[in-house]
Amino acid sequence: MNILLKSAIVFDPKSTHHNQTVDVLIENGLISKIDNNISCPTNCEEINLENLIISNGWFDASVSFGEPGYEDRETINNGIEVAAKSGFTQIGLNSNCYPFTDSKSMVNFLKTKAAGTPVNIYPIGSLTKKSEGTEIAELYDMQQAGAIAFNDYKKGTKNANLIKIALQYTQSFGGLVMSYPNNCNIAGEGLVNEGINSTRLGLKGTPALAEELQVSRDLFLLEYTGGKLHIPTISTQKSVSLIKEAKAKGLNITCSVSADHLTITDDELSSFDANYKIAPPLRTQQDVNALIEGLKDGTIDFITSDHDPIDIENKKLEFSHAIDGTIGLESLFVSLQDTLGLDLLIEKITTAPQTIFGLSNSTITEGEKANLSLFTTKGTKTFTEEDILSTSTNSAYIGKKATGKVYGTYNNGILTLA
Amino acid sequence: MKTLSVPNLLGIKHLVKEDIDLIFETADHFKEVINRPIKKVPSLRDITIANLFFENSTRTKLSFELAEKRLSADVINFSASGSSVKKGETLIDTVNNILSMKVDIIVMRHPDVGAHEFLSRHVNTKIINAGDGTHEHPTQALLDSFSIRERLGDVAGKKVVIVGDILHSRVALSNIYALKLQGAEVKVCGPVTLIPKYIESLGVGVETDLRKALEWADVANMLRVQNERMDIKYFPSTREYTQLYGVNKKLLNSINSEVTIMHPGPINRGVEITSDVADSDQAIILNQVENGVAIRMACIYLLASQIKQ
Repeated sequence: MNILLKSAIVFDPKSTHHNQTVDVLIENGLISKIDNNISCPTNCEEINLENLIISNGWFDASVSFGEPGYEDRETINNGIEVAAKSGFTQIGLNSNCYPFTDSKSMVNFLKTKAAGTPVNIYPIGSLTKKSEGTEIAELYDMQQAGAIAFNDYKKGTKNANLIKIALQYTQSFGGLVMSYPNNCNIAGEGLVNEGINSTRLGLKGTPALAEELQVSRDLFLLEYTGGKLHIPTISTQKSVSLIKEAKAKGLNITCSVSADHLTITDDELSSFDANYKIAPPLRTQQDVNALIEGLKDGTIDFITSDHDPIDIENKKLEFSHAIDGTIGLESLFVSLQDTLGLDLLIEKITTAPQTIFGLSNSTITEGEKANLSLFTTKGTKTFTEEDILSTSTNSAYIGKKATGKVYGTYNNGILTLA
Repeated sequence: MKTLSVPNLLGIKHLVKEDIDLIFETADHFKEVINRPIKKVPSLRDITIANLFFENSTRTKLSFELAEKRLSADVINFSASGSSVKKGETLIDTVNNILSMKVDIIVMRHPDVGAHEFLSRHVNTKIINAGDGTHEHPTQALLDSFSIRERLGDVAGKKVVIVGDILHSRVALSNIYALKLQGAEVKVCGPVTLIPKYIESLGVGVETDLRKALEWADVANMLRVQNERMDIKYFPSTREYTQLYGVNKKLLNSINSEVTIMHPGPINRGVEITSDVADSDQAIILNQVENGVAIRMACIYLLASQIKQ
């Protein structure tokens, strides 16, 4: 599909057109011309969007769809549409489907499913068979098939030796090991962050210690083994400082944070609304401030939506029975651009994660493949259930401030508008 | 007519001081009623109440049922061990089915924290919390304060220590809210493993030495260790727990002031409290049980009067 984007502000520090308002002509999936006042050729659709900004396509490295196994929560096809309409052209797909993504054939299945769509799917393989935390899966085989990293999604690995072996083994082929920061014994049956709110509400708390102990353990292991480690969804102030110290020591450690942990605190829990039941649990404002500071000083490498659709039957329940998780693709940009500013936010959802996962960075330059996110920073509204595109509506961001708007994406020759 | 500031009794934390005063004034009246030869009033002849107990209970269930019957309400009872989810039906569906039979008020005990608040957002009825997990047990806290007021004249300014398993106790949390609201000073006392780390954020003190706690207190509310809510062992043995946190007559006699002893029941005699204490004049344990009926009559009556208005 050939399109002409009229009056778009280019947001791409690598492009000579950065911060310029231009017309962008896209033909056969490539950026064929960037100039002022391009007239629309035949067989080309002119796109006029108010206060349009274009950037390189966004990458969300932690997305769950459910398919195969939990199609009632989200299918790959609809999930891809949600991602594209929310500004994402690349996603790292978590291994928490059924069966788990723990083999080459599962990686192939996911890649095949996404072929020919506007979103490039990059499966994240299970670190261990069936994500059970006991036996390492065939990591090299999965990587050859297209897996970009290995993680037992939201399962803290109890066996330290398993992480040690994974960190050593993956060095043969440059595999990226991810370790979810949770010490299961300390966390116990905790449902929410242990703190003033858990005390006030009588809810069993998971102390920040459960996360920090696991981060410390994994950093010790990494120091011993070498190799590279990624810690996803960190959520506490001390995790930030532990990783900051490790980076200063020269360890090959990276970490990420979910948008929820940057925007919502455990103060929301007094309604006992299970949409706020998230893992790691929502923490305090002090933690949120430290996480934002960690993003700014480079300790935290990138941001994910940690999009995790849960069907209403498993969410509209008494708090302790509801499954953890919130969707986040639709709200990531509008929840953060105000707080973080465009420079920092776009970096943390494009070049920063792409580099860590070994994906190529696109640029907005003539002759390059068009891989674009389309959005505006203007306008403020309240994020409501009507803004949700996913099959499941379990958003922790409902009722909160949304700044700007995502128009959609252009990728793989396909324009997707919300 | 004066009315409560809340549409449901979900927890003490939603009440204001005037609510407690109103409940106590009403309960004073009902306490006089239940000591008459005919212990019954016709106030709620047109009200139907369902008691839903998703967790075992003897005294609270009996107390609510007696309170309802003495107000002349129609009463139905529903008991199920474990939550409704385990039976395959959601809590909302269970309650909506019962409400379809034209029930006006739901009294519910549920093992899950926040179950009542969750329910109140999804069904249209009056709800009284008869205990939700480790969260709140508002009528217990109200009857406890009512009993302190009866014994000591007032709650304001009194020093109350809550002893035992604070971590797993809804009685402790509701009592803390109720006592603080009425101007009492509150401490908790127990092994550190059974005291929430952030308990002081509720404005209460922490004391790990039982003798010091009793020397400080006007009232000691002794809690049962909630073994059924523990996922791991928080102390090595009951024997050792009793050595550290059990109240016996010898200990009480060695303290200069007379401490009023309370217990929400059921008592584990010889564990948190010995028989010579439980059966002594210092203990007001059975007064608490008697007052429970009057307090529950007051709460039900005040919420039912909102329906009539």
